[in-house]
Amino acid sequence: MPDEYVWVVIAAYNEARVIERVIADVRHCGFSAVLVDDGSSDATAEVAERVGAVVVRHPVNLGQGAALQTGIEFALRKGADVIVTFDADGQHRATDIAGLVDALARHSVDYALGSRFLGGATDLPPVRRRLLKAATWFTRITSGLSLTDTHNGLRAMTRRGASAIRLRQNRMAHASEFLYQIAASELKYVEVPVTIEYSAYSLAKGQKLGDALSILVDLLARRLHR
Amino acid sequence: MIAQFILSALLLGIALYARIEYRRAPAIGLLSMLLALTGLYFVWIPAHATRLAEFVGIGRGVDLILYLWVVISLIVLLNLHLKLRAQMEVITVLVRELAIANARSAATSK
Repeated sequence: MPDEYVWVVIAAYNEARVIERVIADVRHCGFSAVLVDDGSSDATAEVAERVGAVVVRHPVNLGQGAALQTGIEFALRKGADVIVTFDADGQHRATDIAGLVDALARHSVDYALGSRFLGGATDLPPVRRRLLKAATWFTRITSGLSLTDTHNGLRAMTRRGASAIRLRQNRMAHASEFLYQIAASELKYVEVPVTIEYSAYSLAKGQKLGDALSILVDLLARRLHR
Repeated sequence: MIAQFILSALLLGIALYARIEYRRAPAIGLLSMLLALTGLYFVWIPAHATRLAEFVGIGRGVDLILYLWVVISLIVLLNLHLKLRAQMEVITVLVRELAIANARSAATSK
């Protein structure tokens, strides 16, 4: 599949410190990159544009879920055949993207979901590991999907798969919503081993224990209205 | 009797609100309607309210009605929260369209 049909969507908020390397790695692997700048107050957008990403800029901060949906819609309008979501904080490896894209064709599925528990996670703190395991257990129960890692932002989807996704959870609950929508679409998925490289920077940016409660509230509230 | 009419008018207002909200948030609409009708029933047949209040251990029927009122208020509060969320979704769609329409790259900036 020609690389120009693969778009990598990166949602970022104040990531000027690390975004240059992230975009450069993705571009080096031959993929098109769209950076959705979610109302950053630093130079994230300027840096990303300079190193070859298309920049779509939210004038106000809406949250990672909203930014990902913006990137997915942009890529669909650009005619992408495959769309990959990729974190902006440098914890994903651009070299894992090819494996995810290949898995879509090899398994004839619409979603290839990265799993750090099938692959690897360097320097993952024990508290974070337990939190992720609890989230995986919760999402498996509520979505019915048999997954080992439910909150991994590295995933690839076909055009058909991306068209079935419409994230309405603007903030952190989008990861669970993504899986609920995969389950509702009844399209096929496969898990692919990926490596997450935790750093002090990405851990400081990542979700905290307290975020779990607001995610639960968001998921519940979404079910109460149309 | 005056209190009964005032309470009835308020509860009928809640029932109307529940009817309007049902299309957007069925759970809120149904719950509000159920509570409003229950409140109306007890306002006009307070003896039953007293009997039910004693049964559930509240003490007086008037207290039961007050508790129902508090619950209705909380539901209205929840509904306001949901409305704000719905409004945020509309804003998100608007922001998204603006952002995509103004996409930039090094090639287009030159």
